[in-house]
Amino acid sequence: MRVEPRIELEEEPAPRLEPPLPAVVAADTFAPPRTGTAALALLGAVVLALGLAGLSVGNFVADQFARATWLGWATLGVAGAGFGLIGAGLLREVRALLALRHVDGLRDAFASGNAGRMMRAAVSWSHTVPGGATVAPALQAVNDPDAALALLRAGPCRTLREDADRLGRSAAVQAVAGIAAIPSPALDVLFVGWRGVRLVREVAALYGVRPGVLGTLGLLRRAATAATLVGAASLAGNTAAQALLSSPLLAHALGDAAAAGVAARRLVVLARATALACDPVPPG
Amino acid sequence: MTGLARAGKTAFLTSLAANLLALGAGQPVLPGFARRLGGRRVQVALAPSGASGLPRFDHPRHLAALTRDPPAWPERTSAASMLALDLVIGRESLGFALPSQRLRLELLDYPGEWLLDLPLLRTDFADWSAAVLRRLQAPAVAPHAAGFMAFNSALPAGATADESLAATGHRLYRATLHRLRDAGLSLLQPGRFLMPAPGPEPAWTPFFPNLGTGGLESLLARRYAAYVQAVQRDLQEPMFGNLDRIVVLVDLLSALHAGPDAFGDAAAAVSAAAGALRWRRSWIEAAWALGQLRLPPRVVSRVAFAATKSDHVAERQRGNLAALLRNVAEGGIGDAPDFGFAAAVPTSHLAIAAVRCTEDFVWTLDGRPVSAVRGRRIGDERLLRSYPGEVPDRPPDDAFWAHPFLQLPDFEPLRPPQGGRGGVPELGLDALLCFLLDDVL
Ligand SMILES: Nc1nc2c(ncn2[C@@H]2O[C@H](COP(=O)(O)OP(=O)(O)OP(=O)(O)O)[C@@H](O)[C@H]2O)c(=O)[nH]1
Ligand SMILES: [Mg+2]
Repeated sequence: MRVEPRIELEEEPAPRLEPPLPAVVAADTFAPPRTGTAALALLGAVVLALGLAGLSVGNFVADQFARATWLGWATLGVAGAGFGLIGAGLLREVRALLALRHVDGLRDAFASGNAGRMMRAAVSWSHTVPGGATVAPALQAVNDPDAALALLRAGPCRTLREDADRLGRSAAVQAVAGIAAIPSPALDVLFVGWRGVRLVREVAALYGVRPGVLGTLGLLRRAATAATLVGAASLAGNTAAQALLSSPLLAHALGDAAAAGVAARRLVVLARATALACDPVPPG
Repeated sequence: MTGLARAGKTAFLTSLAANLLALGAGQPVLPGFARRLGGRRVQVALAPSGASGLPRFDHPRHLAALTRDPPAWPERTSAASMLALDLVIGRESLGFALPSQRLRLELLDYPGEWLLDLPLLRTDFADWSAAVLRRLQAPAVAPHAAGFMAFNSALPAGATADESLAATGHRLYRATLHRLRDAGLSLLQPGRFLMPAPGPEPAWTPFFPNLGTGGLESLLARRYAAYVQAVQRDLQEPMFGNLDRIVVLVDLLSALHAGPDAFGDAAAAVSAAAGALRWRRSWIEAAWALGQLRLPPRVVSRVAFAATKSDHVAERQRGNLAALLRNVAEGGIGDAPDFGFAAAVPTSHLAIAAVRCTEDFVWTLDGRPVSAVRGRRIGDERLLRSYPGEVPDRPPDDAFWAHPFLQLPDFEPLRPPQGGRGGVPELGLDALLCFLLDDVL
């Protein structure tokens, strides 16, 4: 059956279209990070600290049992709870790192050009993101990787990116307000840095990647790569920041505090870059 | 660069200049080209124009028009101008001791109508008149040319050189050309009748194709010769100064809309123009140069065919568009066999959009998902969804022409980042540059 060509106006007015983010986020730019010397040394230190601590705690527990059985049990309980919590924390870190690896894996799959692999990746990603459930049946039905990617881009990716932008904007607003209220420039930097880290975690959570401490570091690194690719400069002049800064309320609050404007723009860029790092779907 | 009227030459040059300058300023543009440079730094600057008599291509003005809200497309070009860019490309790590590599890109912008004057340089008045009059009798064309043809055939063969006869014939012929252009045809000569050169009209202008034998014919022939001389001075010399690589811009999508006659006509026109560019390679020229103890002129070393405005169709169809261009260029259609380049010259066929206006999306039509595009039209706040039809990957047959291919809407360009300093959104320009400059990078 032949589809009749046609041209139609949409109902709602829309703003002037912007170019999509540069399509350079290829799989190779996110080569899986290799374990560096520092990381190895750090790991060693952690093993030593935990291991030695564990051994001496073990000794201590044995001593306590020698004193009185009830004392021994109580000490064992305390030690177990403490190490259990540490273990749970570590487990979370590992899971977060695995989630990041998973995103890298999906990105590889989408770039592979292998239809079956791409389809599997599309379906599996659609299960992990909010709004993915609505396109999942359609994905199964089209069974064509290009169409599937287009659907993902038009649906979940777009909403996610808009949500990330929104998070970036609200972080920017908070940063501006915070800077206006904080008297010392040194504290400004700390504040904006803290807000940036929180923003990265918020955006990542949006994409279903719940990063721990190490995960956040990994994300920050990926976001930095993405930001250089996006060209932080090019985005800084971009609409999201522009729209934000052209709001009269903020312009008033900003006064001539140029630093606040710069910080606000950076946060908007950071949100986008993080979104880019968490989004395995190649830009169309 | 060659391209018929409205093929997108001015838009192409504007985008090329803006994107290369942005690349030099470290912006993330032309990703494919940047990758090809492999991390080498590139500086880009407008080349000084020296003592050249040609006006500079006014890219800041065109760029500002595209960037402005609401944006505006370049007007029809009415005079030749030159875009010259200097590229200084750094060396890779091991070659750091070598001096940087320098490239000068010179591209000539001109009214598309003038392109078809190039074949006139090789044709005398009688041959030209015979060819034109033959074309005007073709069934698709004849209704538009009735007035002029009636006048011309009523002229006695030995008519005397009468200024008012020449002026009347000229007026009728010119009106015919305008009507044919409105009907979507492109092989219309001489080009300056449609797009006059700036300044007052020269006294030799009033002529028209005629096969007489008397004084009138010889007057017209002398005027034709004067016209050809002006073409040589204004277009051929600047264009052939250092001709080394050719970009042929073809607006295939509009031709698909205009129908079989216009499609064949556009192909014939591009073929004629491209053929005219080939004389550079003729042995006579080489022998002449050697006779004067000079090296023979360089041959054209690369030819890129580009189907422009490919942002009017979705990604999936752009492949077809490039394939169609390849088939038209290599196989030929109807009586316009080939674009005239020997197979020995490296040639590439691409689909580009110098100034991107749309985004792709999936449109469900009649219950089926279709890859379509959408964008805003200038002066309208709402998005327009467009699926003009399926682009064939080979020269269209009767079955294709049985269905309409919709007219391309006048989309508004995407907003160039940073008011144009971040380049102009494009499609495929990087691939074109990579191919054109591949051997010198
Ligand atoms: N969508 C889209 N339209 C384009 C593009 N390039 C050109 N156009 C359209 O084509 C028209 C003609 O483009 P120009 O660059 O002025 O064409 P030209 O070859 O310089 O035309 P002349 O100066 O008359 O010879 C423009 O007004 C646009 O409407 C493109 O990349 N995308
Ligand atoms: Mg022009």
